[in-house]
Parts: sequence; C-alpha cells; structure tokens
Amino acid sequence: MYKWYALKRILRGVFMFALLMFIFSFLFNQVNEQTQRSQINEQVKMESMRLKGMKPEQITAWRDNRTDQLIKMYKLDRPLMERVLFRAVNTVTFNFGKSTVIKSSKGEQDVLDILMEALPRTMILFTSAIVFELIIGIALGLKKAQKPGGKLDKSTSFITMIIYGMPSWWLGMMLILLFVYVLKLFPSGGVNSVPTPAGFAFVLDRIWHMALPILTLVILGFWSLSFVIRNLVLSTLQEDYIMSARARGIPESKVLFGHTLRTAAPPIVTMALLSLLASLSGAIIFEGIFSWPGLGNLYWVAVQQNDIPVLMGDLAITTGIYQAGLVFLDLIYGFLDPRIKVGGKA
Amino acid sequence: MSMKDVGYRFKEFWDDFRKETSGLIGLGILVLSLVVVLFEPVFLPFKDVDGNWRNISYWQDSPPAAPPAWTNLFAAEKSATTAYLNDPIVEDVDDPDFGLARVYTFKYNYKYDKSPLDIIFRAKGDGMLFMNLSVIRPDGETVYLGQVYEDGLAGDDIRFTVDTDARSSVYEFIRAHASEEAIANSDSSNVKATDIIFAKAGADMLSAREPLKGEYLYKVTIPASLFEDEANRIDEAKLIVTGRVSGVLGTDTSKRDIYSGIIAGLKWALFIGLVTSVISVLVGVLYGIISAYFGGTTDTIMSFIFEVFVSMPMLPILIVLSATFKPSIWIIIGAMIVFYWVGPVKTVRSMALQIKEETYIEAAKALGAGKWRIIFKHMAPILLPYSFANMALSVPGAIVAESSLSLLGLGDPSIISWGQILHDAQLSGATLNGLWWWIVPPGLFIAVMGMTFAFLGFAMDKILHPKLRTR
Repeated sequence: MYKWYALKRILRGVFMFALLMFIFSFLFNQVNEQTQRSQINEQVKMESMRLKGMKPEQITAWRDNRTDQLIKMYKLDRPLMERVLFRAVNTVTFNFGKSTVIKSSKGEQDVLDILMEALPRTMILFTSAIVFELIIGIALGLKKAQKPGGKLDKSTSFITMIIYGMPSWWLGMMLILLFVYVLKLFPSGGVNSVPTPAGFAFVLDRIWHMALPILTLVILGFWSLSFVIRNLVLSTLQEDYIMSARARGIPESKVLFGHTLRTAAPPIVTMALLSLLASLSGAIIFEGIFSWPGLGNLYWVAVQQNDIPVLMGDLAITTGIYQAGLVFLDLIYGFLDPRIKVGGKA
Repeated sequence: MSMKDVGYRFKEFWDDFRKETSGLIGLGILVLSLVVVLFEPVFLPFKDVDGNWRNISYWQDSPPAAPPAWTNLFAAEKSATTAYLNDPIVEDVDDPDFGLARVYTFKYNYKYDKSPLDIIFRAKGDGMLFMNLSVIRPDGETVYLGQVYEDGLAGDDIRFTVDTDARSSVYEFIRAHASEEAIANSDSSNVKATDIIFAKAGADMLSAREPLKGEYLYKVTIPASLFEDEANRIDEAKLIVTGRVSGVLGTDTSKRDIYSGIIAGLKWALFIGLVTSVISVLVGVLYGIISAYFGGTTDTIMSFIFEVFVSMPMLPILIVLSATFKPSIWIIIGAMIVFYWVGPVKTVRSMALQIKEETYIEAAKALGAGKWRIIFKHMAPILLPYSFANMALSVPGAIVAESSLSLLGLGDPSIISWGQILHDAQLSGATLNGLWWWIVPPGLFIAVMGMTFAFLGFAMDKILHPKLRTR
C-alpha cells in the first residue's frame, strides 16, 4: 500500500531529522560553553568600565548581577542535558527564538526572520546554477554517449578529471580577479548594488550580480554531470528496445530524447536533486568569496559571532531541507520509474 | 593469499594500467611530487622555511609583494632580481683613512632598468668591530654609505641596509652632483637610496633617472689593527641585493617566498590527503563487510548509524569544532575520517552480501573457521583491491576540505598548507591589489593534486570495475 509506505518514509525522515538535531545540539552546547562564558566575562568587563560614579563594592555587585543575568539569558546555569534537550526540542519544533547578536536587514532579532531572508538568496543562486548545469550536461552527455570513445568523449572526460579536485572557491577567486579587476565587467560581490534600483532594473541588477557565481558553478559542475549522464545513456542505448525503435525508423532525435532520456531520467533527477540539496549547506566559503548573503555566509558569521540560535537554526533549515528532499525523492520515485512497484513492505 | 599471488595480481593490474594514458600521467605527477617531498631541501631556496613561515625576522631581507622573477621576460623595463653574494674578495690594502686595512669586496653586475629595493650587508661578529661601507660605481664615483661600530659582540648578527642606514650619506652624494634648483624642488624624504646609487650622476639626476649599468663594487673596510686582538672576528660576510622581482613565484606582503611555501606545503597536502583517505576507506570497507556478514539486527543498526553519518554536513561541523578547539592537524585529519569513512560502505556492503553466499565461505565455515578469520582472511582480501580506486578518488576531497578550513583561518598554525597561504592572501586583499602570484599558485597546486588522484582513481576504477569500460 503506497500510503503506508509514504507514512513510514515520512516518519523515518522526521525521526532522522530529530536525531540529527539532538546530536548537533549536544555538540554545540558542549563545545561553545567555554567560549560563551569567557565572552560573557569580557562583555561584563567592558560594560562595567563605562560605569561612572560608583563605589568599588557597588561595581562588583553590579558585575556579579550582570553576569548572572547574562548566564541566565544564555541558559548556562542549567545542567548540560537540560540545555541540550531544550535546544533540540525547540529546533525540531522550529521554535528558534531570538538571536544573540545577528540582526536581519530590518533590524529584527527573530532567528526565523533572519533565516528566511537568507534562504531565498541561496536557493535562487544554486537552483539557477543547477538548471544551467543540467541543460549543458544533458546535451554534452548525449553527444558523448553517441560516439563513446570518440574524440569529443575522450577530451571531455579528460577535462572532467582535470577539474575533479579544483575547489569552486578558488575558481571563484580567479574569475573575480579576471572579470572584476582586470576586465571590470562584473561586480565583486553582493546581491544588489547600493542604492538598490526598483522595478525591472532590479531584476537586471540581480542577474548582473549573479552572473559570476553562477558562471563559476556551471564551469565546474557540468563536466561530471555530463560524464554520469553519458554512462547512464550509454547503458540504455545497448537495450534491445532502442535497437528495435531505430529499426522501426524512428528519428534519432526521438530515440534519444523520447526513449533513452526517459529511461535514464530517474537517476538523473535523483542526482540533480541530491547535488542541489548538498550545495545548499556546503557553500559556506563559496558564498563568502562572492559576499553572497545566503545561508552559507550566515553560518560563517554566526560561527564568528558565536550566535548559537542562528547557528542551530541555519543547520536545522539545511538539514531539514536535505531530509525532506530525500523523503520527496523516495516518494516520487515510483512515478519517475513505473517499473518500480512499491509494495507495503518497502 | 601468498606473496606470489600478490605479485601476480599486481603484474596483471600493471599490464592493464600501462594502457591508461591519464593514469600514467597521474602516476608520473605523483612520483614527481614524492621526489620533491623526499628531497625537499634541494628544491627549497629558503632551507628553514618549515618552522619559520610565521617568523618575521627570518624573512626580513626579502622584498615585500614582489612579482616572480620571470615576469621580467614580459616587461619592457627590466627590474633587478634578488641576488645573494656570499663570496667577497678579501684583501689587505693601504687605506687613506685607516692605514693598513682589510677590505671585503662584493662585485655586483647591474644590468637592469629598475634599481634594486635595498642592499643588505650581513655578517656575524665577535668582540669589537669597526667598519666603513662604500660603493664604487662603474663611472668611478664612490658613494660613501656609512659606518658600523659594534662592541661586545658574541657571534651576533651585524646588519646594514642601504635603504634605512645609508639614507643621509647617499643624500650627500646627491648634493655633490645634482643642481641646487633640482634639490630645492625635490622632497628629500621621497628619494630612495638605491635609486640614486644605480642612476647616472648629473645635474638632473633627481628628475630624469637613467640607470647606470655595469659592475658595482661594494666595499667593507675594516682597519687591520683591529684583528691584532684575537677576540675580534668577522665571519660569514655576505651581501643581499633585494630585487623588485624575486624568486620563482614572488613574495607576499610579509616578504615570504611563496615558492618555498608551496613546496613546503606539498608534503602536508599529500600527507593529509593520503592518511585521511586510506584510513577512512579501510574503516568503511571493514564496516561494510562486517555489516553484510553478520546481517540481521547488527546489519540494521549498522546501516542506521551509517545513514546518520551520511546525513551530517561535514564542513559546518568541522568549522564549529576547529573554531572552538585549538586547531591541530591531527584533530582535523581525525574529524575528516569521521565523515569520510561512509564513502565506500554502500558498495562494499552489497558486494560482501554476494561473496558471503559463495561456496568457499561455506567451506571455510564447515572447516570451523571463526567469523573474524572469514572476514579478514577470505572477504577483506577480495574486496580491498576494489577500494583502491576509492582511496585515490577521495584524496582530493580531503585536500580541499583541509584547504577550506585553512582558508577560513582555522588551520593548524604549526604547519604550512596551501589553504593557509590563500587565507593570508585573502586577508591582505591580494585580489584587490592584483597580487595574482599569491592567489593563483596555491589553488593551482590544490587543483593539480586533485587532478593527479583523479587520473589515478579513474584509471584504477576502469581496471578494477571492468563493467565501466568504454564499450
């Protein structure tokens, strides 16, 4: 029964998400306690220096008072297990609370607001990059598969290996060096110019800012995609029904796009979706290089400011999206590939 | 499996591997890098770069932010390159000031258009020392540089730089030649001493600076009477001409030689990549075999743990860990292994599930072999070769991950890694200032290392998994 399978799969995803959040919560509470305590001491010291006209004992009393207040605010007076549970439960229920330092562009401290501001920026950047990669990757992959072992196949496979270990952030730096400082074609970073234009100019301005990061991602991304698509298509092209389709005189383009690509679609969709999901959380440095204020950049800022609510919220969002994506993939796989019949005991 | 078997299987593998061009290229680069690592001192212009990378005084004689020396090939005006003159001619002559004197003469052949940044005299001294320093130019003029008087030396460094210590004396030389008007119009604080020493003398020498090419003699004159006392000694006298361009890959803003840093970083990149990938793949293979062999509840639990680890994002967690712990290369490698071992588990588990059903395993069981004997003696030797390709292919990931951490400033400060060089470059705005020789090489080397192991890995993959061969 499909609905029982779906329910089971969703529950499994939720359980995995909750477990991961618990692990992260444990990790961060354990790890950040020391830093947070010293930060509080520093802060109290700074604040007490600004006090005027107080006697020494008054200052000490004030200091102790303020320290207690801050420790209560960060919940450092509670036992570790309680803090871990408190944070994990809050995160799982999407109750992230208020950030300690970071503010949204409107000046709010609500973590959810801050995250929801960054999420669309990350989404738009990586989704459009994946779309371009898919278009080029499929076109190139088909061409490669048509003549396996040919010149095009060999040379592009060679390039795939050459760029295998190239860090995307380094290529980003190179392109910034070339396009921003030498050719002066693109802005060095950010999502929009200041002041931000309105209307259609806004869209153009956004595209102009997105061009370089997308270019970087696409240059590195489509090679391996086309390599995998080549392998998938190649194994499909060996099938008997392809030969029979050709024998029936069906045009080659229809054989490629209608028969072959349709059969190879499920793994391609899976791969594209998985790489999109993975890129959402792994782009910390890439976004930093292009000063792109998305989730990755936000994470790095939160680490530097030691803002645990934002840190946890950021991780919760990326992990949540990842798990949801996996569940979604499993659920639609039956539709993508009708050969797989899903039984109740999947 | 006996040694003979291993030898036979290796020969079989090698016969296939020889046909893979890209695999051979990868092997070639790997061997080359191993040679560089083993004979590191031969390739290092600065021998003590390990441990001195962050030591400012070690680099004080180099020029800051100098482009590579070979950029001269593409420049219309040639810049002076850095030169080390270690063998002075020592002679005893009659000096008008000192009477009998010992003179150390360094010959420097100047054939460039842009003068060096500095000339640095270095020596080690004992006891009391007194010396006069001067330069005899190709046109016969003598530029008096200054005096050094040191007492109570015990093998201490003597350092005299033209740029800072000879400023005022060189100005005397300008006064002797340039016109009153030119001197009045120029700002004396802006005049660089080396520019004057290497320019043609004349009334307009301050505005129209023409290089005076030829042989320069840098003379260090010490009264001979000084050496009558045995305690007074001078050793290791050498002259460093600091060029405007320097070394194979130039220098950064803290005067460090980037080529030395790259070479010294190579061993760390290889070490990090290989240790991480070998250990994590071994762990993963074993995990997969155990999970498949035991089956049942053990398999379910182990598969679940595997799934948890797969779902954890590596970089965010590594960042939090290294931001709080004192970053050490061992912690970084250990943390990477924790995340990388999951790589081969899935394939190995499914392969082990098949092998488990083979008759020879059954035979071994019937003969009374224990679980671990079967796992280590019968299953692991068959599955391990398949993981070699996996090992090679996970090396680049480990190198890039360490570089990413270092780029964020979370690297181990006691080593030199390419990511750290890039971090320093980012911090001082190398992109903004166009110091390309600081950003291109470290990343390029990371990419080349990745390429090397990709070549090796894909070639091995093709041989060990014949299904993937080009049909």
